[in-house]
Amino acid sequence: MTATESTDGAEKAIKPMLHSFKRMSFFEASRRVFDLSLGEMLWSRRTIFMGLVVGGPVLLAVIVKLVETFGMSALRVNGQRVAGFGIFGVMIWMLFLRFIIPVLGVFYGTALMADEVEDKTITYLFTRPIPRGAVLVGKFLAYLACTFLVVLPSVMIVYFLLVPLSQLPGTFPSLLVDLGLIALGLAVYGGVFSFVGAFFKRPLVIGLIFAFGWEQVVLALPGYLKQFTIAYYLQALVPHAMPSDGVASLLQGMFRENPPAMVCLFWLFAYLGGFLYLATRVVEKKEYILEQ
Amino acid sequence: MNALVHAEGVSKWYGQVSGLNNVTVSIPPGITGLLGPNGAGKSTFMKLMTGQLKPSQGTIRVMDEPIWGNPAVFARIGFCPEQDAFYDRMTGLEWVTALVRLNGLNDADADAAAKRALDRVDLLDAAAKKIGAYSKGMRQRVKMAQALVHDPDLLILDEPLTGMDPLMRRKTIRLIKDWARAGKHIIVSSHILHEIESMTSNILLINNGRIVAEGNVHQIRDLIDTHPHTVYVRGQNPRALARKFLSEDDVLSMKFEKDAVVVETARPDSFYARLTELAASGEAGQIDEVQSPDDNLQAVFKYLVKQ
Repeated sequence: MTATESTDGAEKAIKPMLHSFKRMSFFEASRRVFDLSLGEMLWSRRTIFMGLVVGGPVLLAVIVKLVETFGMSALRVNGQRVAGFGIFGVMIWMLFLRFIIPVLGVFYGTALMADEVEDKTITYLFTRPIPRGAVLVGKFLAYLACTFLVVLPSVMIVYFLLVPLSQLPGTFPSLLVDLGLIALGLAVYGGVFSFVGAFFKRPLVIGLIFAFGWEQVVLALPGYLKQFTIAYYLQALVPHAMPSDGVASLLQGMFRENPPAMVCLFWLFAYLGGFLYLATRVVEKKEYILEQ
Repeated sequence: MNALVHAEGVSKWYGQVSGLNNVTVSIPPGITGLLGPNGAGKSTFMKLMTGQLKPSQGTIRVMDEPIWGNPAVFARIGFCPEQDAFYDRMTGLEWVTALVRLNGLNDADADAAAKRALDRVDLLDAAAKKIGAYSKGMRQRVKMAQALVHDPDLLILDEPLTGMDPLMRRKTIRLIKDWARAGKHIIVSSHILHEIESMTSNILLINNGRIVAEGNVHQIRDLIDTHPHTVYVRGQNPRALARKFLSEDDVLSMKFEKDAVVVETARPDSFYARLTELAASGEAGQIDEVQSPDDNLQAVFKYLVKQ
């Protein structure tokens, strides 16, 4: 018997509750699931993984800073020295938007429901008077808060490490656009992969194939297929001029199209809303059979 | 309300495996025990009646409403699942509060309701402790607390006494009976007849996914008593426990396991009564866990199915 177990055997009278239960809207229910999930998500092993992933660009920025402190050039394109804000732009596109954001989207998005099912804690959420879709949306919002809290500060650290003080006033608006783009990228990839996680049996494999197979291949090819990628629209919104330093980037440059910003935003939000809606529908209808 | 739960021709298959087979049953108000050996289909039936699973065939209604895809009904239902699964980083109070907030209570009311529920299961002193640091019995009780925190009309408890020490078992049984006396309804599953019988005489016997018998089960009780009943008792001093057990003639045989003693008894009633007194007196040291494997019950079910 534990210290907290009383031995007196005294009965506690069952009295009716005096509290008032209110019927919650879908969004109120989502917000409460968000409150429940945020702490668990923030202090999970996945956050350590995320910390390591976003720590990479910070480390790289520190190295670049050290190299430049000694008067050397960290990056040259076509013999031209690229420094400060230019390197920051390359890192935003090559590291954050093309790698880190899809990786985090895949690993978090596909696990939104899978973690609860694997841990068998989903029962507690599905036996409450809230729509199952609100569970998914609440957990999606927790994913956003969690990734924003870790990724956006790391982008700012990289910016302040790489961009000289004299360039800060002129480039700061561009940083804000970058932060907005990264937030949008996290939301859209997260929305798409939350659907993948809800619908498919092996969501991680499918997510990785989409992010690092389909998107990479299709973006390098001419034609309309690239419109079925997220990177295509994110790429068009990047404010930095991309350096071209080889045949591949030359070819890419030839095929590169830049749809108008409003079109990109429309499609990105359409992807986000559409896939998140589909994911909630799947969760509403799906049976989750917990392993005994 | 005529029936709390009404199942009509309900079957559930997991691929090729049958979990429940053409079950038609009406569970009346009050306390009903769902008794069957492990793997009999108790948990599948409970998952169906809590809308976690959809019947492969047939219909199931809870409190006159369909349960699948109808979350509003959960305002009136509390469910304590079998699995030992938690958000281990949260404290008991945080967890129960967060869950009752999903029932629509505001922050202050949710906090008050959670404290009340934890008090009801004697866990208020440990409310600020992380669930990860709870003992098995405490984890069972915090699960009970989240099930009854919103004052539901129907409590569905899947093996709620597993892992509890004898005193806590007695208290939990009393809590369940009090809940019923307050006009609420309870469906409780177990693989131990002795446990179920101490709560209600209204029992559904389930085996191999079928309802084998329902109603008052004194005859089955007599039948079970003819089979030796195995009880696993884990405590701080197994040898002292063994000495105490051997002092009466209700023990048929005994063997030692790590920190535990496994007893075979022909009279489970008197043995459990003695065990509770022993735990309360502390004469044979602290008793941490009591379990009853269902081998003996399985034998009775085989006998019943042959009939």
